[in-house]
Amino acid sequence: MLDARDLCKRFGALTVTSGVTLSVPAGERRVVLGPNGAGKTTLFNLLAGELRPDAGSIRLCGRDVTALGVDARARLGLSRSYQRNTLFAGLSVRENLALAAATAQGRSATLLSDSLRHPAVVETVAEVAARLGLTERLDWPADALPYGDRRRLELGLALATRPRVLLMDEPTSGIGPGAIEAFHAVLRGLPADLTLVVVEHDMDLAFEIADRVTVLDHGEVVFEGPPAAARESPLVREIYLGRWRRDA
Amino acid sequence: MFHQTPLKTLAMALLAAGGVACALTTGFYGRELITEIAILAMLAIALDLVAGYGGMVSLCHGALYGAGAYAFAAATVLAGWGGGAGILAAVLAGGIAAWAVGAVTARTQGIFFIMATLAFGQMGYVTVFDARALGANDGLPGVPRLDLSAIGLDLGDSRSFALFCIALAVAAYAFAAALLRSGFGRTLVGIRANAARMRALGLPVWRYKAAAFGLSGAIAGLAGALAAQHTSFVSPGLLHWTVSGELLILVILGGLGTLVGAVLGAAALVLLKHQVSGFTDHWHLVVGVVLIAAVLAGGRGLYGGIEHWWTRRRMPAAPAEGGGA
Amino acid sequence: MDAAFWIVQALNALQLSMLLFLLSVGLTIVFGLMHFINLAHGALYALGAFVAVSAAGFTGSTWAAFAAAPLAVATVGVLLYLLLIRRLRSAGPMNQVLVTFGLIFVFLDLFRMIWGDIALGLPEPEVLAGQTGLFGVVYPTYRLFIILLGLAVMAVLALVLARTPIGAMIRAGVDNDRMAACLGIDVDRLFFLVFCVGCALAGLAGAVAAPVLSVTTDMGTGILIPTLVVVVVGGLGSLKGAVAGSLLTGFVQTFGAVIAPQLAAIAIYAMLAAVLILRPAGLFPARA
Repeated sequence: MLDARDLCKRFGALTVTSGVTLSVPAGERRVVLGPNGAGKTTLFNLLAGELRPDAGSIRLCGRDVTALGVDARARLGLSRSYQRNTLFAGLSVRENLALAAATAQGRSATLLSDSLRHPAVVETVAEVAARLGLTERLDWPADALPYGDRRRLELGLALATRPRVLLMDEPTSGIGPGAIEAFHAVLRGLPADLTLVVVEHDMDLAFEIADRVTVLDHGEVVFEGPPAAARESPLVREIYLGRWRRDA
Repeated sequence: MFHQTPLKTLAMALLAAGGVACALTTGFYGRELITEIAILAMLAIALDLVAGYGGMVSLCHGALYGAGAYAFAAATVLAGWGGGAGILAAVLAGGIAAWAVGAVTARTQGIFFIMATLAFGQMGYVTVFDARALGANDGLPGVPRLDLSAIGLDLGDSRSFALFCIALAVAAYAFAAALLRSGFGRTLVGIRANAARMRALGLPVWRYKAAAFGLSGAIAGLAGALAAQHTSFVSPGLLHWTVSGELLILVILGGLGTLVGAVLGAAALVLLKHQVSGFTDHWHLVVGVVLIAAVLAGGRGLYGGIEHWWTRRRMPAAPAEGGGA
Repeated sequence: MDAAFWIVQALNALQLSMLLFLLSVGLTIVFGLMHFINLAHGALYALGAFVAVSAAGFTGSTWAAFAAAPLAVATVGVLLYLLLIRRLRSAGPMNQVLVTFGLIFVFLDLFRMIWGDIALGLPEPEVLAGQTGLFGVVYPTYRLFIILLGLAVMAVLALVLARTPIGAMIRAGVDNDRMAACLGIDVDRLFFLVFCVGCALAGLAGAVAAPVLSVTTDMGTGILIPTLVVVVVGGLGSLKGAVAGSLLTGFVQTFGAVIAPQLAAIAIYAMLAAVLILRPAGLFPARA
């Protein structure tokens, strides 16, 4: 579904992504782990199209998308959520979700009707809001939401496009421990045919939802395998868990 | 998000009715003022469409207005076309020029966008100023008015022309309001709120920004065609950046992102100018102080203030309406 | 057109560049620190010229005028800061643009009230009257003085920014104001200081330009656009950008007028458009 081959990215003298190959089949839940500065977010930006790789190629649903921009990849079914919330400030939760749904459904250029009130858009908004537990908050301004709900809305914007591949950059960052469990439940409840790539700091979440785990260090893939094997791997312990524990 | 609230409808109806009443009852000078307000209101609506709802604060709308005026003058005076073709030329000139500026500047943001539009506007000004075919800095005199005698209207008469301009200003408002309530308008507000996210959702943002700017330019071009007919004269001064600056001021004074505010601001500015020039020639000082005071008072502008007061009075605990409403 | 002609043109371009530099450097660093853009900067330049004319009339010395103008304009800057700009700190860039735009109008009419509509002039200091031979051409001495003054200010600012603690604080503030605040740097006071220095430099630019140009009420609006072009082309917030932007603008404008007079007026706008299309954040943006 999503195939990246030999991706390289340098910023000046600093190589942040070095020969990364990542192949995620349809419906798989892949978690990308790595210490701070391992190049996780850069890899995401390469996959999403916000950065152009210096070398390597990216295929989405069998199509080469290396040269395509963010919006063109999104139209092919790739969606992403951000580590820091990037919502539509000043608009209500309903308007946020409806805008995402209407855009993905190609209703942005309609001149004679209100895209946000189209039945298909309204239906998607209701469905996504229910899935994320935001139904009660639909008429709140997005800026007035508590942080945890804004985090859900961030994911909601990505889901409202009904993506085939969803990239999530640290979806639980900044959420308190109590709310994380609820967030896990949301992730577990996502459609089975959705291909999911998650960058995560939270080890428990990673091992709980992952089908496979990829570990990055210094911009390179140092491990790929099932979560159980990652837990056992001395290499992963050394470069990831060890340093992680020391950092924390 | 834009909503055609009952308050907006009421305000627009009052403004239009007031304009028509003045046009029918006042003398020549009053009708000239009303005509000026209607034309300026149309231009202000064009600016508010992109600045208030699309987040594209433009300092080249004076130039687009001038492009429309010159296109009309060139078509009628130089090429000898009829008024209808002249108006079409004006709308196309404003629209195409604006689309090009919008397409080229789509990547820039904030102060860079303002500067880029300023640069393109000044390029237009300088080009016209130096163009001998267009009369250079003397401009083009003898611009005729549209001939509507087929439907029994003589636009040479100042009353008919004032009513004609009011009708077109109301039509421009209706067009802008309908556009903002459509999928396209929703998209525009989304771009203003978060352009990067719109792109991540699959929107080719620059195409929409350019299209919005083009539509706004078409309205500005139409206003320019009316201005050329009103004074029967065009000069490079129409394109100067201070025209765009004053336009931006009146939209802010009226209430940026309210659409009605643009009309209210145009009326307030023209009337204020008229009043102030009665007892002092330091008109700029007054406008400057009023602008500073309006911004320091909260920056909502006239209509924004009215709307704020109205919604709070009716629903004290209501959450704030979505941006740009 | 021989070599001498081109040397004179280059000196003309350099002289224009230095005036633009004096104007733009304060503007760009203030923006870098606070994201505050002061459209009334051109009006302060005109104020400097007017004060210089009055001071010269009062004291009979152009040198005294050159000293009085920056002081007077910096004082006006302090007043503006205390009365208006401090309140706009959290008002957002749009409101700042508008208030300073309003100030342009206010200043315009104040100049007309105080100094009238007639163009005024300022004699150049006697020492600098006449011509000087340089690179085989004869060039007005006073214009060479402007070039040297600009270069001197450039050097002093570069040294201050690179070598002194206050310069380090300014660089930190431009780079990341929140981080600088966390490090205990009082960004507000820094901003105030830079703002006042910027005003003084604008006043100085107006005063030294007065003998070359005629002093009119609209000289501020006339110079504002080229100054903003410099700031945007160079990249907001950087000294390097202000230097590069003013040189580029000065040379494009001067040589444009010589090489293609009919396109000269468009040249700097075309340059600005080209830079914004190719590098939307300017040539040397302070923040990468």
